[in-house]
Amino acid sequence: MRKLPLSLTINGETHELLAEPHHPLLEVLRTQLGLIGTKENCLEGECGVCTVLLDGMAVNSCLLLAAQCQGRRIVTIEGLGGPETLHPLQETFVEHGAVQCGYCIPGMILAAKAYLDQNPEPTEGEIREALSGNLCRCTGYQKILDAVLAAAGVLAPMR
Amino acid sequence: MSFEYHEPPSVSEAVALAARFGSEARFLAGGTDLIVQINRGKLAPRHVVSLHRVPGLDTIAVDGHVTLGALVTHRALERSPHFQGRYRGLVEGAQVVGGHQVRNVGTVGGNIVNASPAADVVPVLLALDAAVTCLGPEGERTLPLEEFLVGPGQTQRRPEELLTTVRFPLLGPNSATAFLKAGRRKAMEISVVCVAARMTLDAGLERCREARIALGAVAPTTLRARAAEHVLEGEVPRAELLRRAGALAARACQPISDVRASSQFRRLLVETLVPRVLARCLERIREEGR
Ligand SMILES: Cc1cc2nc3c(=O)[nH]c(=O)nc-3n(C[C@H](O)[C@H](O)[C@H](O)COP(=O)(O)OP(=O)(O)OC[C@H]3O[C@@H](n4cnc5c(N)ncnc54)[C@H](O)[C@@H]3O)c2cc1C
Ligand code: FES
Ligand code: FES
Repeated sequence: MRKLPLSLTINGETHELLAEPHHPLLEVLRTQLGLIGTKENCLEGECGVCTVLLDGMAVNSCLLLAAQCQGRRIVTIEGLGGPETLHPLQETFVEHGAVQCGYCIPGMILAAKAYLDQNPEPTEGEIREALSGNLCRCTGYQKILDAVLAAAGVLAPMR
Repeated sequence: MSFEYHEPPSVSEAVALAARFGSEARFLAGGTDLIVQINRGKLAPRHVVSLHRVPGLDTIAVDGHVTLGALVTHRALERSPHFQGRYRGLVEGAQVVGGHQVRNVGTVGGNIVNASPAADVVPVLLALDAAVTCLGPEGERTLPLEEFLVGPGQTQRRPEELLTTVRFPLLGPNSATAFLKAGRRKAMEISVVCVAARMTLDAGLERCREARIALGAVAPTTLRARAAEHVLEGEVPRAELLRRAGALAARACQPISDVRASSQFRRLLVETLVPRVLARCLERIREEGR
């Protein structure tokens, strides 16, 4: 099939590239743009490690065609904060020891960010529900919940 | 396995593309069923027609009827202020579809056209007497959702037709809906069985005027349990009668045994969940009446 010329806005930067029509955003991020913070696992929407923000919503980038993303805003974990400028969610994940192998963490953090943006003062139960599309194979769920709750406490007064 | 990609800017252009490519084309809404099926090699469309640039299909309109555009997402259903009262069953169905990532993009139209017998929003729509409207090159046609669903993955939709809206009558006073789902775990799970119900009581809140019961994952399509509905209508819905409705509903289904559950277990779940979902409708009507 003919490759498609695409213009994608990722983390505020516009990228011009060529992609196969069936390529998911995940593949373009990892293999063409070197944005390997977004992880790859089930490719069926089950695990959430590929979560990115699309116009502010958490979505699975394995089920989203790159072609569908033109004219929309994509944020990946690289766009949230770097080593010197950690986002409060990244800081609380470090402080609470919420990261074990780390594979699920970019997706967890972005799903949590999308949720907190809309619900600044969640209960623990609500956070659990908000993260139900994200699996952690190291099963560190409790510390992840603690970290998100703590981040909510830091972020809410900043709004 | 690749395909040609299209993103028409209007309903008419979407239909024109489908008319041109016929069964070689598939519409793409949220992609949460379609892309998975393409990746698994179950479907290999030559043309994928994305609907995300088509305007006007993502609205929820409440006037003489409730009309949902095909592109209304599960997230939008969950959050709509229209559905927190009598239509609560719709919120309950939408709420259990996958996780947030799936509900943010997955649509009502996709849930219907994908025609999985385990679809969670479809039974609620059946209980609401919903009808679907399809637009093809020759114009529109509207048919009852129940007729539209033919078998697993099969509907009456012709390949060149776009599902545009699903519509149901407004619920009058003394009415409520509810939905319950049994899965192997609490979240992110395909229904082992799901049940939806709608009930309308008479003005004195005593007798059942109208009942609807729809069952998911127990037959080739989502199923109405008519005998169970009939036993309720005109009667006082006491606990014992709700149990009888449950037994009749269990008899109406033809469940399969698979990795998720045996056929007997599914029947048992129907027998248990139907009285519960009906009781929930009754509670809601009485709460509203207070
Ligand atoms: C991890 C995961 C968990 C899930 N859990 C559940 C669950 O618990 N319950 C449940 O019910 N579903 C579940 N699903 C299935 C799916 O999310 C829903 O069925 C969803 O509503 C499909 O909508 P979509 O917009 O993504 O459809 P798509 O995948 O875009 O389309 C599905 C089918 O419908 C066709 N189509 C879509 N829109 C139209 C239209 N307007 N006109 C004509 N044809 C159209 C497409 O061509 C395709 O054949 C899950 C999916 C995933 C990936
Ligand atoms: S890789 Fe996308 S959800 Fe698992
Ligand atoms: S930290 Fe290892 S998968 Fe979650």
